Amino acid sequence: MSTNTYDAIVIGSGISGGWAAKELSEKGLKTIMLERGRNIEHIKDYVNANKGPWEFEHRGGRTQKMIEDYPVLKRDYPLNETNLDYWVDEKESPYTEIKRFDWFRGYHVGGRSLMWGRQSYRWHETDFEANAKDGVGVDWPIRYKDLEKWYSYAEKFAGISGNRDGVPILPDGDFMPPMDMNIVEKDVQKRFKDFYKDSRHFVIGRTANITVPHNNRTNCQYRNKCWLGCPFGAYFSTQSATLPAAMATGNLTVRPWSIVTRILYDKDTKKAKGVEIIDAETNKTYEYYAKVIFVNASALNSAWVLMNSATDVWEGGLGSSSGELGHNVMDHHLGVGAGGRIEGFEDKYYFGRRANGIYIPRYRNLNGEKRDYIRGFGYQGSGSRSNWSRDIAEMSIGAGFKDALSEPGSWGFGMGGFGETLPYHDNKITLDKTKKDKWGLPILAFDVEVKENEKKMRVDMMNDAVEMLTKAGVKDVKGYTSDGILGRGIHEMGTARMGRDPKTSVLNEWNQVWDAKNVFVTDGAAMASSACQNPSLTYMALTARAADYAVDQLKKGTL
Amino acid sequence: MNRRIAIRNMALILGSAAVLPSCLHDNKGKPVVELKYLKLNGEQENLVSNLAETILPKTNTPGAKDLGINLFVFKMIDDCFDQKGQDEFMAGLKEFGDVVDKKYGKSFNELTAAERTAFANDIEKQSKDPNNKDKDAKATGFYWTVKGQTVFGYTTSKYFMTEQIIYELVPGRYNAMFPVKKKAAV
Repeated sequence: MSTNTYDAIVIGSGISGGWAAKELSEKGLKTIMLERGRNIEHIKDYVNANKGPWEFEHRGGRTQKMIEDYPVLKRDYPLNETNLDYWVDEKESPYTEIKRFDWFRGYHVGGRSLMWGRQSYRWHETDFEANAKDGVGVDWPIRYKDLEKWYSYAEKFAGISGNRDGVPILPDGDFMPPMDMNIVEKDVQKRFKDFYKDSRHFVIGRTANITVPHNNRTNCQYRNKCWLGCPFGAYFSTQSATLPAAMATGNLTVRPWSIVTRILYDKDTKKAKGVEIIDAETNKTYEYYAKVIFVNASALNSAWVLMNSATDVWEGGLGSSSGELGHNVMDHHLGVGAGGRIEGFEDKYYFGRRANGIYIPRYRNLNGEKRDYIRGFGYQGSGSRSNWSRDIAEMSIGAGFKDALSEPGSWGFGMGGFGETLPYHDNKITLDKTKKDKWGLPILAFDVEVKENEKKMRVDMMNDAVEMLTKAGVKDVKGYTSDGILGRGIHEMGTARMGRDPKTSVLNEWNQVWDAKNVFVTDGAAMASSACQNPSLTYMALTARAADYAVDQLKKGTL
Repeated sequence: MNRRIAIRNMALILGSAAVLPSCLHDNKGKPVVELKYLKLNGEQENLVSNLAETILPKTNTPGAKDLGINLFVFKMIDDCFDQKGQDEFMAGLKEFGDVVDKKYGKSFNELTAAERTAFANDIEKQSKDPNNKDKDAKATGFYWTVKGQTVFGYTTSKYFMTEQIIYELVPGRYNAMFPVKKKAAV
């Protein structure tokens, strides 16, 4: 047996790749996880995690040099001084925008599991049924009951804190104790409930931050510095959770600096036999072989790997037979919501920095309601007290002003919507063979936009936010909206969707590529619709389910 | 003695909240901080420093200059402002100086602390007055830039975060209803 031969190959080491590596190696498969970027070692390489805000030269801000070097990242909040080296080098890895798409990537071990927002919500049966009911895209080949036990499995291992709210549209999970709402959030919640009764809900966020010690990880210390990497391992990441579990089996090899260029398809067996990689440091090419391959390179790069794996059998790439590979790009559209001022509570504050907020689950187009668009949206928000806001005329400069800066400012409450985006065949990524990245590989071209359904939904997303906050007693409420450019939700999905029919989908009900059954895609690419919940928990559940199936099939000798 | 401070050492200075040696301030028109893009002479540099000190003066607690906030202001404008922002800053700085000259017959740096405070207060009032807000727009813009960066630098300084407010790197808990004890009346 060649030293380059394993039982399983996992492409990518982010949330879903880490899960695939853990599940496959725990089930006894000799597994290699290929990561295109550098290694980041848990705790040791979180170089900024223990710095005070004053230790950053520009206090976390962005310099002109950073703005020049990161033409995409600069478009939104991720460009900042504190975790700059967790974001992809855009000069090395450019992409083409036929239409603007804000693609925020992390090319390193752990991927975006290090920087993710950690909000973790189960989908509801409604979400799995929606495509079939609306005649949009393709029907999901699975239903809630197929994923239910895997949600539970993922929650128990990842450690999700949350309250069992009993909200029908937002299934409760196996939670750790919830984080607290602060006094203003509780007040807003009370008024909200008084007005909306059980028609809308206002709950504490469900987040992958552990609130009790778990698997050698320390519970959340309320630093709210998650995206620098957590020295306590308090939030779920590859490094804090799946990687140590996988390494403990003795079955996992991690190979950083390994850019998978293509999956090697064997037309005699009609299966993949392995992958080809370029070593990102030496530019040398290697091949790895395995019985089963999990593609977890993140939705758009997983599609890239498949598209770049063209053969004379599949000229459009592996999994291209349906004509849907690279199509149906989805994200959650956001940048719309409302905020305002809270009166009173001057004698109350909070201690600690909670890396979580409140959540208002979807309520539109449910229970028979029909808006002028389909599907819905949820909101995330929080109440907080600003550090300083003293700008009283008599005190706008000088000694009194200086002292006033150290008094807490006024309370405010704000929230923003996350809207479902429909799968449109027209919203696609393709290989741009006219341009190459640093390694001479073709780059992706984006042709993706929000369309009418999303634009109509955004009107409600702003107006509803204004109305709800006003009803809940928030003062001077102002709504905001924006163009809803996709990508900035950082929830890319849909480019290799699951389905019931090989003619209209790339993957089957077990996340297997129809055209090569030993290739599984279990990241955002697999999604047939986007719902409006943060998707990572669903990727974890799908991955664990697919890995279980893959190993079972290997044992039966059918793979 | 080389009085020029390499700006790259600033984080260190700011981080330790050191009191800067007084010999730093050179009134002969020679700049004391090294900037990459902004071209400030010593006079202009002192104006910005004096303005920052006017906004956050030394009392029984350190002022902007003690904490090196003036240097932070330079660094932010030099590193983080684009060409247009820097041009506006320079044009505003000039206009600010001219307005003071015209009003007092001397430069901002020559004003007494009380005069500087009065002048800054005038700008605050003027820019909040809808009938008057376009007057000396460049000088006003310059003023708010300096004020914004000064306050940002102060409220994120180690001194402020550890001695004026309670900042703990590792709070360890979340108390959702923490009572506020008012400090001595402001």
